[in-house]
Amino acid sequence: MNEVPILSVKDLAVSYKTRKGQVDAVRDVSFDICEGENLGLVGESGCGKSTVAFSIVNFLGPNGFVSNGQILFKGQELRGRSEEELRKLRGADIAMVYQEPMSALNPSMMIRDQLAESLVIHRGMKREDAYRECEEALHRVYMPDVEGVMKRYSFQLSGGQQQRVLIAMAMLNNPALLIMDEPTTALDVTVEAAVLDLIAELKQKYRTATLYISHNLGVVARVSDKVAVMYAGEVVEYATTKDIYARPTHPYTKGLMRCLPDVDAPKGTRVLVPIPGRVPSPDQVPAGCIFAPRCEHRKDTCDVGRPQLLEVATGHLVRCSSAMEWYAQPIDAAHRIPPPPSREAPPVVLDAESVKTYYPVPFKTVKGLFGMEKRRYVRAVDDVSVTVQRGRTLGIVGESGCGKSTLAKTIVGLEPLRGGKVDFLGIDVTKPIQKRSLSTIRELQMVFQDPNGTLNPSYSVGDQIAESLKRFRTVPSGEVYGEVVRLLRAVKLNENYYHRLPRQMSGGEKQRVGIARAIASNPAMVVCDEPVSALDVSVQAAVLNVLVEVQQQHDTAMILISHDLSAVRFFSDDVAVMYLGRIVEIGPCEAIYSPPSHPYTAALLAAVPRPDPTLEQKNIRLSGVVPSAVNPPSGCRFHTRCPFVMKGVCDVEEPPVQDIGNGHKIVCHLPTEQLYHLNP
Amino acid sequence: MALYIIRRLLTLLLTMIIVSIVVFAVVEIAPGNVARNILGAYATPEQEKSMENQLGLDRPVTARYINWLLGSDWQARGAMGMPVREIVVEQGTQARYRQWWAVDEQGNLVQWKIAGQDLVKLIRQADGSVLEVPDNEAWKEGPDGEQFFWGVDTGNRIAKWVKGQGGVEYRLEYSGWIETAGSPVDYIPLSKGLVRGDMGLSLQYKRPVADVIGRRIQNSLTLAMLAFLVAIPVGVLLGLLAGLNGGKKLDRVLTLGGLVTAATPDFAAGIFLVMIFAMWLKILPGATVYTDASSVLSKPSMLVLPVLTASLVEVGYILRITRASVLEVMSAAYVRTAILKGLPRRKMVFGHVLRNSLMAPVTVIMLHVNWLIGGLVVVEAVFGFPGLGNFILNAALYKDVFAIEAGAMVLVVLAVVSQLVADIIYSYLNPRIRYS
Amino acid sequence: MTAATQTAILPPRRRQRFADSMRVVLSSRVAVVGLVIVLFWVVVAIGAPVFTKYDPSKDQDYKALDQAPSAQHFLGTDHLGRDVWSRVAYGARTILLLGPLSVAVAFLIGMALGLPAGYYGGWLDEVIMRLLDALMAFPTILLYMIIISALGASPVNVVIAISVGGAPGIARLVRALTLDIRTREYVSAAKLRGDSAARIMAREILPNCRGPLIVDFLLRVGYAAFYIGTLGFLGLGLPPPTPDWGGMVQEGHARMMANPWPVLAATGAIVTLVIGLNLFADGLREETMRYQ
Repeated sequence: MNEVPILSVKDLAVSYKTRKGQVDAVRDVSFDICEGENLGLVGESGCGKSTVAFSIVNFLGPNGFVSNGQILFKGQELRGRSEEELRKLRGADIAMVYQEPMSALNPSMMIRDQLAESLVIHRGMKREDAYRECEEALHRVYMPDVEGVMKRYSFQLSGGQQQRVLIAMAMLNNPALLIMDEPTTALDVTVEAAVLDLIAELKQKYRTATLYISHNLGVVARVSDKVAVMYAGEVVEYATTKDIYARPTHPYTKGLMRCLPDVDAPKGTRVLVPIPGRVPSPDQVPAGCIFAPRCEHRKDTCDVGRPQLLEVATGHLVRCSSAMEWYAQPIDAAHRIPPPPSREAPPVVLDAESVKTYYPVPFKTVKGLFGMEKRRYVRAVDDVSVTVQRGRTLGIVGESGCGKSTLAKTIVGLEPLRGGKVDFLGIDVTKPIQKRSLSTIRELQMVFQDPNGTLNPSYSVGDQIAESLKRFRTVPSGEVYGEVVRLLRAVKLNENYYHRLPRQMSGGEKQRVGIARAIASNPAMVVCDEPVSALDVSVQAAVLNVLVEVQQQHDTAMILISHDLSAVRFFSDDVAVMYLGRIVEIGPCEAIYSPPSHPYTAALLAAVPRPDPTLEQKNIRLSGVVPSAVNPPSGCRFHTRCPFVMKGVCDVEEPPVQDIGNGHKIVCHLPTEQLYHLNP
Repeated sequence: MALYIIRRLLTLLLTMIIVSIVVFAVVEIAPGNVARNILGAYATPEQEKSMENQLGLDRPVTARYINWLLGSDWQARGAMGMPVREIVVEQGTQARYRQWWAVDEQGNLVQWKIAGQDLVKLIRQADGSVLEVPDNEAWKEGPDGEQFFWGVDTGNRIAKWVKGQGGVEYRLEYSGWIETAGSPVDYIPLSKGLVRGDMGLSLQYKRPVADVIGRRIQNSLTLAMLAFLVAIPVGVLLGLLAGLNGGKKLDRVLTLGGLVTAATPDFAAGIFLVMIFAMWLKILPGATVYTDASSVLSKPSMLVLPVLTASLVEVGYILRITRASVLEVMSAAYVRTAILKGLPRRKMVFGHVLRNSLMAPVTVIMLHVNWLIGGLVVVEAVFGFPGLGNFILNAALYKDVFAIEAGAMVLVVLAVVSQLVADIIYSYLNPRIRYS
Repeated sequence: MTAATQTAILPPRRRQRFADSMRVVLSSRVAVVGLVIVLFWVVVAIGAPVFTKYDPSKDQDYKALDQAPSAQHFLGTDHLGRDVWSRVAYGARTILLLGPLSVAVAFLIGMALGLPAGYYGGWLDEVIMRLLDALMAFPTILLYMIIISALGASPVNVVIAISVGGAPGIARLVRALTLDIRTREYVSAAKLRGDSAARIMAREILPNCRGPLIVDFLLRVGYAAFYIGTLGFLGLGLPPPTPDWGGMVQEGHARMMANPWPVLAATGAIVTLVIGLNLFADGLREETMRYQ
């Protein structure tokens, strides 16, 4: 390749001045991006990915600065350019797309004005002409109702639409370089898939050089040509996408791949290998190899001196002193194990029938204020029936807003039921938690989503677990300390954690404490509400493993609520797919992940980004947005977004339940025959 | 939007009802007897009792609350079977009196009094003179056979006379105690009620509160407006300057200055200003002297220091709010978008920062009207300014109940109405609320 | 290192917390300046008998009325020949006692209203909020004025007025914090432990409000000093012979031309104390925000 790269970063170091002195957040980062090329920058949070992106446009805040290296844009040095020169580049030649589309748009300015600004400044266009050009730009990103959107404000658009606006804005001046900072992280999986399609298409059409930042290996596999893996401020592996996924070499890259649950692997057939420890903060970077403290192949020599990037194959660079050795050794398949033998159907622990959870809607009209209007309700969960058996996991999947979390909270009694019946261990628990007896409460516990909210920041870890033990009198009061330590060990934490405060722990550790607290009363069932979705991939594995172990040891029934189909497949025996408060498909896990499928399930499966660039995926994409749960669509609730909608049927009649057999049920009008051909 | 405003109006109404109960209740629980307060320490128990009866203070609390708020004239109609009307009588150019009269079937304005054993009807003539006619046929038979009559007396009350069984009425006039036998046995003082603009009688001024308070409201509003006119632009401008230069020297100086002025009590600020401008430099008057009728604007030099004092605390406060808001907006993701879009700083500030960062101060400033009004009381006290605040302060010191009640209610109404206006302005400025 | 030896006695968690809060305070220059000013007045208040030669009220020197500062009278004398410095020093006692006391009472009321309003929501919240709205509709000074004029001027009534005036704001703050915290998952976890509502409010919610509440407390002590001074100035503070800063200004105000010293000394005292408290609270707030 003789052409001059659009962006060439050499030996980049970025530092921040803090009260404790200068901290190097990024060191020794080098990469090239040529025209029409997409470079994926992957790594866990806190690895300095965004810092690299912002250093290119020199937007590092008052105390950050590029302390070493070169940033060449079309062969020209960007370092040391005046603010005015950079300003002329920003938005014209170098454009950015951000992670949180909602906050990246000005809430008090119409979309069209925010778009047009860019043209007015960089090209001196008149407003009217600029508007016309903006409309075209929105058409190019497949924005529905362009004219309407132009006159709207950011908060009147859905997340996917906001991100399309930002992409259109970035593309307005045909930039040579596009920097995308986690552009799909905040979006639902089906919306993400559509945006990723758009990004791929734009790259084909306009050949824009793109720096794509993501923590998700699957997403990068889909859009990038080259990948740079970052860890703690350094690039540890750099190669073409094909090479890196075929022969991951650096122990960190390998670790990332091995800790990902696989959407194609049934429960019990894979062991996840978590990476121990956590990413060091920039002011505590070890002296030798930065990954050494977490590396399973660590040698004494690793602690001496920084390893250089070694070229293990043409264009495949790895920052590890033993790189050649690891390159020769492909990722071990030893972590696949045969599926466990299926057992006799165990007894049912929880039987929820036609559960309904409604929230009243605040009145929006003058009439309503005076009680002249009927109360309306958000039908968060509307007529859902599920059962859970001892020792088995029911996975509940669906996008945000489908009612899965509400269902979980309703079952444990944190939300009041509006209809239906819940039977737990033969006891009627169709009542909120305040009215349940302590002996029922202790049998039905919950693991929460947000690691930062799950523990009370005012008390130590041990105290919080002990609180449950004392309340439920699980053990005599003299043995509480010992029991807490035993529970901590059960979730792979040691005794030292007893006196830690939550803010002294990482997200994964906090989630594990949350599990220890949930199992402290030795419950018959644990409901896990998105237990790993807020965690970095390397620690997700540790938490999922703990859940598996707990279930195996205590034969606990579990519900796993998740939007991540891979995590659900890893841990579930049965799966229910929810859409807009209803179950559209339910059955044994294997049946859900293979044909026949409900069109919605098929779309979800097609949208899952897989860490395998060679995989050809079916494109079942959903259009439109999830309708309001206050006024759910008539007939089949999915008909407004279903690619296979049959006019006159789906929008009129309630869909029938098709029993495929073996407990597998699909709620759809399409003939069973057709459902067999939907799955990717 | 309409829904929002209606909801706000309804809560405002509710708020005002509760406020009126609170005001009434606080004055009510005051230890010390209103009658004794008027009469002085040496009144006999009989005198005190008579006075309480005349003022209607011996009636139940709820009845008095309702009369105070909604008036008693409509009740009078029930008791007398005749409507009553309030008229204004002017004597000369200065003095104006309010008088209550009943309206009989012929449309005459009538009152009654007792002369010896006779009930006498006073009929007001067109020229203002009064015709006295005996009216003994008007006596009515009570359940116990007694002869009684409800009518309007000459003291703006409806009164109940019982034939041959007159009470003793003690009245304190400038000349001393006047004792009248054969007087009514029961009184309900007539008033239109607060909500209809009748604020009762000031015990201190011996005049209707409404007559005294009008000019003072005007004066206070003038002072408040001027203070706001000075404080808002200065505060916002300095706040913007500080915020846009966040962390730099100018910001530090302005922030500290803002903190100092906001933390200095109004009276201290006033006194410092008086010391500097009136005592030391001798360029401005340190107190205000106005005749009752003249507008405060007639002597502008006297307004300078009060306005300056009232705005000083506000400037500091507004500066701090604006600065915080600017800093928050400056760190928002959409400002980052604007910068990385290549907007020049000027466009970024005027297009993206200003509007968003002024939204918070608008509400906070208007919510702060309460504070400004509180400050006015103090400023008026420092400068002897003839405003509402000084009026209430004097009423509070004198325990002039009706004046306190009325003044407090007016002040609260001013405060809540300006807050409502602020709310509406804010929801108009903020598209997020406008479109929800 | 006295701090180290002292903290060594505390149990580990407390020690950690103490060290943390000391670090927060000391790392803000603004907070340190504020703290020094406040501590100055605290020391003056506690040691008033040591630092002064005269009784603030009884020692009236009729031969030395309205004197300018001298070696005898470090801040001069007032119109009754009382030593201004003594009155200022003893006045610090009044304000530093009544200020925190009235704010503490206000906090008790505010928390008692705000916690259940935020936690339960619904009609209880509605009723409490309307009541608070009404109280907050009063300009603060006005509320104080009518309360004091109704109850009469005395230290207890000043405390009552200031706590009634401050409670609604605190209740709103506590309610807002409660509304936020009650959605946290550890509150759900407590419910899943069968904890009662009262226990959840006391153990799960209240302790996690403490950061904003401490800052608010300090700010409010500042305002309380501000208002106690103002009430004194308006003649609604403490009855006359009591040494009270606001009262000193009120007494001296009319005679300022003849003798500005009592007024200057008392206003100076109020202003520095209020500014000190504000600086301390402000620095603390900025620092805790940065810390998070």
